[in-house]
Amino acid sequence: MTCRRDRSGLARPWLRAALLAVALLAVASAARAEEAAAWLARAATAAQQQNYMGTIVYQHGGHVETSRLVHLFENGSEFEKLVNLEGPAREVIRSNGEVRCYYPDARFVRVESRTFRNAFPSLSTQQQAALADHYHFRMAERGRVAGIETQAWVFEPKDGLRYGHKFWADPVSGLLVKARIFDEKHEVIEQFAFTEISIGVRIDREMVKPTWPVVPPGWQVRQSGPGEGVAKETGWTVSRPPPGFLKVVDGFRRLHGKQEVAHLVYSDGLVAVSVFIEPVGRAPHPGGMSRQGGINIVIRQQDDNLVTVLGEVPAATVRQIAHSVARR
Amino acid sequence: MGEQISRLMDGELEGAEADAAFRELKGPEGVASWECYHVIGDALRRCGEPTPGFSRRFAARLDAEPTVLAPRPKRAPRLPLVWAAAASVAAVLVVGSVAVSSLDPQSTVIAKAREANAVRTAQARPQPVSPDYLLAHQEYSPTTQIQGVGPYLRSVAAGGTDGRP
Repeated sequence: MTCRRDRSGLARPWLRAALLAVALLAVASAARAEEAAAWLARAATAAQQQNYMGTIVYQHGGHVETSRLVHLFENGSEFEKLVNLEGPAREVIRSNGEVRCYYPDARFVRVESRTFRNAFPSLSTQQQAALADHYHFRMAERGRVAGIETQAWVFEPKDGLRYGHKFWADPVSGLLVKARIFDEKHEVIEQFAFTEISIGVRIDREMVKPTWPVVPPGWQVRQSGPGEGVAKETGWTVSRPPPGFLKVVDGFRRLHGKQEVAHLVYSDGLVAVSVFIEPVGRAPHPGGMSRQGGINIVIRQQDDNLVTVLGEVPAATVRQIAHSVARR
Repeated sequence: MGEQISRLMDGELEGAEADAAFRELKGPEGVASWECYHVIGDALRRCGEPTPGFSRRFAARLDAEPTVLAPRPKRAPRLPLVWAAAASVAAVLVVGSVAVSSLDPQSTVIAKAREANAVRTAQARPQPVSPDYLLAHQEYSPTTQIQGVGPYLRSVAAGGTDGRP
């Protein structure tokens, strides 16, 4: 017995050292995954629970838009007012789980009675592992953004199936003051940045009230909303999801009076891709690809269903998912 | 026949299937299909009309080019490149392939494609996605959650055109 143990691999110092190294690497990688997840959760909590106001510049595909944002967190609820500063006025008011979008030039209000999910989804161990497997998470430079000394963080993708992300955070509150999505050539796909911001200031309810009455007389009102999702097996699946994308949602949604739409969500811990499957019958529906800021969209008809796939990932990833939607 | 070439241009073929499509491209019929799809694409993009015999003249000039003897570059992962190319033509191809699959003689297709110029704008424009879908998606998107304002910035930005139903 003793003799056998002596001959066993574990008795050899070099092998023990190698095993220890592997174990340490695994621990280090798990620690990094946890660090990344904790960092994301802190930024999400700050975006929700801090009081702040400032001017945001949003850039996407050669367009630049400037908006004014006021955010108040009071008694566990979020109130927000977002007004664009260029072009026809648009105003988005978020309060008590309701979102109202005012289009004064068209005398039109769009009301979405919906609750934005209130907490950042805490990532499962599996998702944390996916995050660490598919991105290099690292601290980048310190520097001033919007007059604040920020700390930048980078999620660099390890493959071409996802974009890179760089975030500049206020180290005190954790709030992001700048965020950038970039492609493999490090070209900016989408970016938002505060040009000036006040964090942790006193904000009155008056400051997040709409400029117009709740329903201005003579305006057209449209009630809509993604509707509450019902978690239920849809019978649909993505047969070949890109590596690292795990299914996080499988359910139905009722969208403004339409019939039920199956909604699947796949996430790699940092971004998500949604798959909507809507029965439309045999008549051909136009499909195609498009892009809205950092979101790529593919619409294609599959027999009697219209499949819409969209997410903050490169077009190839959206396409790959769109072409592998199947019945389970 | 044409379908395989369409799929090739669309970046959907790999390995043996792609090789087969490339072999097809060596034949006159394959070349005709290839040309036809490009004419459709050009017409939809309003790139102007191709001059007759373009590919013949191009081939002749290519033959006249000196051959560069250099080590073969290491093969890059092909798929993402193909996909990227596919992305830029896909919107056009979707319209194009519908037109082609329903018609046989190529001249008709080309004529139709030119005719389609009139109605092209409406068809070739990428299908706007329902804002409800965008918002429903963003509810689950971790990056949106950490930015807080992302979904609304996008809808304010899109507000001028399709942000409103």
